[in-house]
Amino acid sequence: MIDGEKVRERISTFLHLSPGRAVDGAALTDLVTESFVLVQLVIDLQEDFGIRLDGEDLRDVRTVGDLIAIVVSRGSPQS
Amino acid sequence: MIHDDELWILSFYRRSEISGALFFGRLAQTIRAGPIQHDLTKHFSDESMHAWYWTDCIEKLGAKPIQVDHSYQDQYLEAAGLPVNIMEILAITQVFERRVIGQYALHRALPGLPAEVEATLNRIMQDEKWHIEWVRDALVSLEPEYGAEHIARTIERYAAADRQVYERTLDEHSGRLKELIARSRRRGPR
Repeated sequence: MIDGEKVRERISTFLHLSPGRAVDGAALTDLVTESFVLVQLVIDLQEDFGIRLDGEDLRDVRTVGDLIAIVVSRGSPQS
Repeated sequence: MIHDDELWILSFYRRSEISGALFFGRLAQTIRAGPIQHDLTKHFSDESMHAWYWTDCIEKLGAKPIQVDHSYQDQYLEAAGLPVNIMEILAITQVFERRVIGQYALHRALPGLPAEVEATLNRIMQDEKWHIEWVRDALVSLEPEYGAEHIARTIERYAAADRQVYERTLDEHSGRLKELIARSRRRGPR
């Protein structure tokens, strides 16, 4: 099982966010200056948590909470 | 002295090599240690060198690189969508590298190329062959994880986007390309 708070911590570290900014409702597009940083973040999370994501998984991801949820779901035994 | 159309094309190559270097550099920084990181880092280094080769070539021809707003890759990522995993990164790279080597081969076949341009194309194409090989091998290594069919479908999706962007690029710059070819023919073989 992947711990959602570990994912939040990783997002925060990767994006150099100040404490408290990586809240569930934060829009990812407000936290990054360009879309390629999001690509790097998504690849970093896959590498860090040993999971695989594809475009379909990310189609409806808009916020930090959405991203954490998809990473956690990919790390669960059922996925 | 180099003609404006030729200068634009060489500057476009330079800009595209810089974009490639930045793309691979950022990925090399992100992915974890292993064979793909190793080769991706070398690829990043090669693309940077290619940008330098074009800069040097343009200067040797008595000109200065001009600002080109968009690289081929920028249009490519817009058409194909951003890759979201390492397999997609490699798939888009394979399609792109094939396009690059094809474009450079076409350019090299023009008669009467300035010696500096021919030497630069030859130098870069040596590296491009290795780029295609390592990416192909890396994609094969990912087959157990992603599936050979899924990888093939992804490559085809990016190849379709590539054809679309290439046709658009040719349309946009057909005047420049025709002029380049006409001037080369007038110069004739060296």
